[in-house]
Amino acid sequence: MKAAGTRRLVFLALLVAMATALHVVEGMLSIPLPIPGAKLGLANIITLLTLYLYGFRAGLKVSLMRVVLGSLIGGMFLSPGFLLALTGALFSTVVMAVLLKHTSCFSMIGISLAGAVGHNLGQLLAACLLLQSSAIFYYLPVLLIAGIPTGFITGFLLNSLIAHDKKSGILRDFLRA
Amino acid sequence: MTRGDKFLLAGLLLIALLSVAVLYGRLSFFPAKTESVQAVITAQGKLVRKIELVEGVKSSFVIRGLGGPSTVETDGARIRMLEAPCSGQICVKEGWIGHPGQTIVCIPGEILIRIEGTAAVDAVTR
Repeated sequence: MKAAGTRRLVFLALLVAMATALHVVEGMLSIPLPIPGAKLGLANIITLLTLYLYGFRAGLKVSLMRVVLGSLIGGMFLSPGFLLALTGALFSTVVMAVLLKHTSCFSMIGISLAGAVGHNLGQLLAACLLLQSSAIFYYLPVLLIAGIPTGFITGFLLNSLIAHDKKSGILRDFLRA
Repeated sequence: MTRGDKFLLAGLLLIALLSVAVLYGRLSFFPAKTESVQAVITAQGKLVRKIELVEGVKSSFVIRGLGGPSTVETDGARIRMLEAPCSGQICVKEGWIGHPGQTIVCIPGEILIRIEGTAAVDAVTR
């Protein structure tokens, strides 16, 4: 394998590791809100960073591997919760990739917001199919509102990271081919 | 934060608030049917009585079983066998029932009282 390919592989593996760690740690935190399914979406930071650095296919790989590894560690592989997380990750990655590539009017905050909402929509759709009931969509407003602050926070963190990179170039190692 | 971000944020907030208003507004204007609980009483395999268990209503009536008449009493959302002619008195000792799925069975009299209705949630797990 060429040096550039190996380098990319190593950095993707690092990103998967970071995303998995965030996913697992996040599963340990309990949010003091009586909303099952609401999460901070910290792992989304890494998904969006991967999309930003390496594009759609890499982002999809990292987010799907993160869900699989995270659920293996958390002990819920192939459980309903795993299926929800997988669908959510898939939806949010696709939404964010499309916005990142085809629009220019959003900063990371907007893209992350759309990703968080996409994640929750995907989750609800999966839950709807699993439960064979559309009544679950009564839950949509709750998840929409929960997704807005968390999406905002992850987007804000990424904005700061990218602004910092413009000055200090901390992300340059990732891209040096 | 760009203009696009602000529009998206405002749009999402608007959609969220609208969906709250629509969904929960509909629920409060047209509330879902309140949970109805019915007691279905069969004797010798045949349906003899079906009564709504309504809060605040008391009643009692007699069901003819194999060994003689049994008295059934209802009080609000619960029902019991008050008196039975059988020797075991198991149906009477069963006491009050009121949750969907619960039953009182009198084997000698071949009487079955069963609660039907939409089951309430037992527990929520996260």
